[in-house]
Amino acid sequence: MALEKHDNKNLGGGRPVAEKGEHIVARHLIEDDNIKEEKNLVIDGVDVSGRWNTFIISRVNSDFDRSFFEEIKKTVVGSRINRCWQCGMCTASCTVTPLYRRFNPRAFIYMMQLGNLKELKKYIDVAWRCVGCYKCSQRCPKQVNPAEMMEALALVIKKYFQEEVKTKLKLDEEVKKIYEDMIIGHGRLDLAKLHTSAMQKSGKTKELFGKIERGAILKMLKDGRAFSVLRLGKPHNWSSSKEAIENYLHKLNTIENSEAGV
Amino acid sequence: MSENILVIGGGPAGLNAAIMLSELGVNVALVERDSFLGGNPKKFKYKFLFPDMQPADNVIGELIKKAESGGNIKVYYSSEVSDFKENGKKFDAVIKSASGSETKTFDSVIVATGFEHFDPARDAKYSYQLFDDVIDIKDLERMMGENNFVRPSNGKPPKKVAFILCVGSRDRHVGNQYCSRVCCTVSVKQAIEMREHFPDCEAYIFYMDIRTYGFFEDLYWKAMEEHDVQIVKGRIAEITSGPDNTVVCKGEDTLLRGPFEIPFDMVVLASGMEGGPQSPEISSKLGIELDEHGFLKPENVTLSPFKSNKPGVFLAGACTGPKAISDSITEGAAAAMNAYTYAVKNR
Repeated sequence: MALEKHDNKNLGGGRPVAEKGEHIVARHLIEDDNIKEEKNLVIDGVDVSGRWNTFIISRVNSDFDRSFFEEIKKTVVGSRINRCWQCGMCTASCTVTPLYRRFNPRAFIYMMQLGNLKELKKYIDVAWRCVGCYKCSQRCPKQVNPAEMMEALALVIKKYFQEEVKTKLKLDEEVKKIYEDMIIGHGRLDLAKLHTSAMQKSGKTKELFGKIERGAILKMLKDGRAFSVLRLGKPHNWSSSKEAIENYLHKLNTIENSEAGV
Repeated sequence: MSENILVIGGGPAGLNAAIMLSELGVNVALVERDSFLGGNPKKFKYKFLFPDMQPADNVIGELIKKAESGGNIKVYYSSEVSDFKENGKKFDAVIKSASGSETKTFDSVIVATGFEHFDPARDAKYSYQLFDDVIDIKDLERMMGENNFVRPSNGKPPKKVAFILCVGSRDRHVGNQYCSRVCCTVSVKQAIEMREHFPDCEAYIFYMDIRTYGFFEDLYWKAMEEHDVQIVKGRIAEITSGPDNTVVCKGEDTLLRGPFEIPFDMVVLASGMEGGPQSPEISSKLGIELDEHGFLKPENVTLSPFKSNKPGVFLAGACTGPKAISDSITEGAAAAMNAYTYAVKNR
């Protein structure tokens, strides 16, 4: 059987190609990732593009991957994963969940227990949003330490979803870079600068000069906060502190990489 | 003249009642339907008992030894009470055994006829008896007892085992609405045993609620925290055959939502307890009440759980409902005390 895939421009103005899964009657019930459809496909010289080759991948979970659980258990932060019995006390006490309903530590731990990467993948954009308040770890009746479990989750995401992290978390990585440069470069955090850079990175340049922002800038100029960093300069004996921090970050990176097996 | 008391059933409850009465100097007639004493624990070769994993022989063996070592206990093996009549405040009973029938008058009676394991074959969704690798807790208990833990289909050690809770319990479909109380703890205990002896074998427990009540909870924690037993929430609606000689459990993951069909090497069904055919039989023979679950009904479930509605007839053990062995032994002693008091009062 000769299978031939080619992109649109090679089709040479054939018949119009439908959107992915467009012809499925109850399309709204099926997730995008579960539809397999080649826009342009020719089999044995017959054009079966679009709807002619549509497949719907089953939603049924067909295996538990325990190797994954073992991997998490070996890390320092994830060593207590075997304790979780899914009572939901972590999610109930979470300070982030009320803001992002999709951030659900209980469910993330369960997905890690059962090695359900397929499901975990859907939450890459929110899974790292733990602010580290440790309320969940205080509330947890089994001392799972969910707050640190979220760090284990970050390792998982880094290791298994490198592509998605690059695309979906691009902005966050960039802002993190600004933050780090600020700390290491000046030894102080300039919130105003961090705020404006983050807005610029996310393309909200217009809002930067909006009424609210203008007011805030004026206020900070007035009470002197805007100049405080310049006036204060770097902290005393910063170069040795800087060296220590850089050393630590370097080490952390190696640990993270070795734990995540990158 | 010493009292005569009839004890029906030679399981943990009946044995303990008989032993206590014998120590009080009572002449005990112990009627056992099997050719051996010990009841279900002996019949199905329970090996280790929860919660402390002590050998079943420490408990059952000890009771049997005491009962058989003579004293005032006369054991009737492979026998039954074929006829029963009230005689004033006393009772006339015909004990039928292979060696013939014997009519005796007793001052009081203790019924300790126990329970029957639910037969999972009655519930087609579990495919018990259809697939060799689908077994139930009593089968596993026997396998462990015989040191023969292998897949029945090919004799090889399994690598992935599922325990399914609430089989034949909490299911209107099979007619049993009650919780069988001990199956959760037994399953958790078996999962620990399995992981201890076969660390390569993964254990999953499919549950709706895990009811390891009281201090049995320690076992449940131990199973998870020390033996990495994974619990998955969702009851199994269907067991089918899968590729590579596996059995597939089909269910819903109620925590993440969404169906699953997971292949396993072996499935262990935590079949519950039933009153069995002996409960209605003894109920009509002795004229005592049966409850809506098919067990014998106590006069007052809280105040006197060991009394039947008929004065002079006492109940002990799992014949009044699902129970742990320790509870049965306690009830045996309670029923013995009450039966003795009744006998002495009506001397």
